[in-house]
Amino acid sequence: MELDVRGEICPYPMLKAVQAMKNLKGSDNVVVITDHAPCLETIPPQAGRHGYSFQVEETGGAEWTITLSPLGGAQ
Amino acid sequence: MENLAPGTSLSNRFVRHGSKHSLAAIITVGGILFVAGTMANNDPLLAPLWLLGAVAGFTLQRSRFCFASAFRDLFLFGSSRMMRAIIVGLVIATVGFGINMHGQVPFPEFGVQPQEANILPFGPSTVVGGLLFGFGMVLSGGCVSGSLYRMAEGYIGSWVSIAGVLVGMGLLSQSWNWWWSTTIVNEPRIWIPANFGLGYGGGIGITLVGLLALFLIVLWWESRSGLSTVPMGRSERSEDTFEEKLSVFWNLFFVRGWPAAVGGAVLGVIGLMMYMTHMPWGVTGELARWSNGIMTLLQFPPPEALGLSDIGGCAGRSDETGIFTHTFAVTVGVLPGALVGALFSREFKLRFPQSPKRYVQALTGGIIMGYGAALAVGCTVGAFFSSVPSLSLSAWLFALALAFGAFVGVQVIKRLA
Repeated sequence: MELDVRGEICPYPMLKAVQAMKNLKGSDNVVVITDHAPCLETIPPQAGRHGYSFQVEETGGAEWTITLSPLGGAQ
Repeated sequence: MENLAPGTSLSNRFVRHGSKHSLAAIITVGGILFVAGTMANNDPLLAPLWLLGAVAGFTLQRSRFCFASAFRDLFLFGSSRMMRAIIVGLVIATVGFGINMHGQVPFPEFGVQPQEANILPFGPSTVVGGLLFGFGMVLSGGCVSGSLYRMAEGYIGSWVSIAGVLVGMGLLSQSWNWWWSTTIVNEPRIWIPANFGLGYGGGIGITLVGLLALFLIVLWWESRSGLSTVPMGRSERSEDTFEEKLSVFWNLFFVRGWPAAVGGAVLGVIGLMMYMTHMPWGVTGELARWSNGIMTLLQFPPPEALGLSDIGGCAGRSDETGIFTHTFAVTVGVLPGALVGALFSREFKLRFPQSPKRYVQALTGGIIMGYGAALAVGCTVGAFFSSVPSLSLSAWLFALALAFGAFVGVQVIKRLA
């Protein structure tokens, strides 16, 4: 699923990403779209905690996508 | 962390930094230096303070430093990363401040306190100010210094927060004399080296032990939360040619975020340099000055604040006149400095909160935070980051109150997702 949190600042992007990972229970990726650089430090540590891996990509224009993938693939 | 699109050649990556953003950054640097040159004509201390303020802003932006998150994240998800970074800065500043104060007041037991140190009242005003500030900064999403540098990064919500801070400070200015006569007049300003025959060795020693204890407590707290530290992936790229090697350093300094602890250490040194120039770093005094100025323009001037100018600290200097004051230099200087950081890293962007709730949060949190900062005669910078190294006992009480306020704030913001 896509989670567009542009315009949101800490801690909301992280809280929403965690909520999404909990709701999906590893059934899908979570693609977080953000323009708040501090998330790059706060979201990745939450990935492992909820059984996800993460990948960060800078997409330009002060925006990033953080792709959270279930460890062991989507179920 | 900030992976560029695959396939971009290294030289292209480097050239991308020569974009209009970098040009704007260079123009901003020119502007900072031009203002410094103008300032140097009148007052020899003004330009150095202005430049230090700008470096502080650059450092805050580069390390994404956030006092609000240091307190908030302990309770929100057990992270102590930012608090540990603050402790690093405090250790450096404590030793440096101690040496500098020793130069001013060699014998602390005689009852004279170093003039410019942030030794603030210790009592109910510290507690109430800290509780309100801690709650307000969590609600609004950033403390005063955090909101200031985010203004320069293009966060519209932070502009709203600072507007709220000005309102809150105004409310306190109007009621300062009540607080003064009710409690502050009786509150001691406890300077640790002057008590119990501690002297500088004891005062610095106790403060460092306190910081070590705090470090261990927050680390233990984090270990209980189950939060794992993730090794941040290093990009695998060749670093052979001169251009590639240069690009690596450029990215490390100007593009990637600095580790928070590096930011804390640099801010500790900057705070010390400001103190050695004239006074410790603080951003509350200048904003209080604006708040009072605006109220005077609106024909609603605050009454003469009893006792405030004797207290010192940030807000104690809010009666300076003229535009280019020392408080102006170390407060407003943060903005262009942060702008330079945001431009070089291409992180500048106008960001509008999507939900009206966030504007209400920013404004309300700002007002509460402004009231608390004016009451405690400082914010997370003046009454905490500059006050712990001043060996003032008030800083520890303020920090404890901040933590309680932040804890309550966390319970509220969790319900506002």
